[in-house]
Amino acid sequence: MSSARNETRMAVRSCSAFVTAAAVAVLLVTVAPVVAHHSAAAAYDESKRVDTQGTVTRVLLKNPHSWVFLAATDEKGQKVEWLIEMAAAASIGWTPATLPIGTVVKVGGHPSRAPGSHGMTAARFTRLDGTPIGRGQ
Amino acid sequence: MKSTKRRLARMQAAGVLLCAAALMATSGDPLPRLRAQTAQTAPAPQTTAPMPNLSGVWDGTGRAHPINSETIPWARTMAVGRTLPDGTKADATYVSNFPVLNERGLAFQKIFDEPLSPKYDCQPATPPAIEFDPYYMEIVQWPDRVLLRYEKDDQLRTVWLDGREPKVSDYGIQGLSVGRYDGNALIVTSTHFVFDITGFDDYNGIPSSPQKKVTERYWRDGEQLKATVTVEDPMFLRQPASYTMRWLPAAAGYKLKPFDCDPETARMSVQFIPAKYK
Repeated sequence: MSSARNETRMAVRSCSAFVTAAAVAVLLVTVAPVVAHHSAAAAYDESKRVDTQGTVTRVLLKNPHSWVFLAATDEKGQKVEWLIEMAAAASIGWTPATLPIGTVVKVGGHPSRAPGSHGMTAARFTRLDGTPIGRGQ
Repeated sequence: MKSTKRRLARMQAAGVLLCAAALMATSGDPLPRLRAQTAQTAPAPQTTAPMPNLSGVWDGTGRAHPINSETIPWARTMAVGRTLPDGTKADATYVSNFPVLNERGLAFQKIFDEPLSPKYDCQPATPPAIEFDPYYMEIVQWPDRVLLRYEKDDQLRTVWLDGREPKVSDYGIQGLSVGRYDGNALIVTSTHFVFDITGFDDYNGIPSSPQKKVTERYWRDGEQLKATVTVEDPMFLRQPASYTMRWLPAAAGYKLKPFDCDPETARMSVQFIPAKYK
């Protein structure tokens, strides 16, 4: 009896592992193209990373690119506006409810190249408690 | 002991198999379907020669081939094992397909300034770039024409099969396309393009002129759609350049989505590109 229960438990565990693997595989094949409209390297330094925190003030889910505007404070205490470039609306998989205006978020990605600018791409958004938002780009 | 291990292994395998079967039965379509959708309206061809069936919605996203970039689909070198535009893997015999530019082409490339690219103002992509943009595409075959509908930039190219010759009034951003069937393939020849500062490739700043001639050969390779795209443009190229790519069948029921290019968001990243000229 106990042996049969163990065998059933084993089959269920194998099934869970399979479902997890299948979910990961499906996620991998549905990941959106990052930047297919223009060269990311021209506008962003993909060898660097920048992190910031701020409040979402505007979200544009558009083609060829979606954008998130973030009100933040720089290291000198000055107010700055970050413009975060995302994938095309067709492939990002976000809705207006994904990142409501007024949400306070942490975001990290590649910084823009132009001196003094506050742009970012390949961004990952998380809530202050570290919970991921959307799937980034 | 050995017998117990064998039994446990059998139970694990049974769990995976039963689970996979249950997933397939409940989801209906757990994996992308390996067949193209039937064209919405495809009147029977009136020609006597058999016409290859290329109709359907085709997936040209990153699932089908690598995303376009400075080194895709035009590449001087390719690491062994890297996926090529046609879905196969590069080996040690890979030969550069990067265009050989003449002096004029090199000069244009040198002075090219990224913000000049008209894509930042929503000017649509054109051959030989639009085919490779990572979006869906639909082919509709009618007796006298083939319609190539692109999700990218909401573009429609009409390939005329009625033997017409291009006229002066046919100059346009997508040029004028005529075609014919050749065995199992559709051959498309496009000319009468207007000058386009990124009309060959917008990642490498290579223009195209009204002398641009694009020849495309489309054929089915099993469930895949493949095409070889060849470009001639004596204004900028020393010799023709070509790549071969593939599409996969779109998932059942997929319909092309409107692109509705937004000029504000299209140009927004230009402010992050350091100025090349004062």
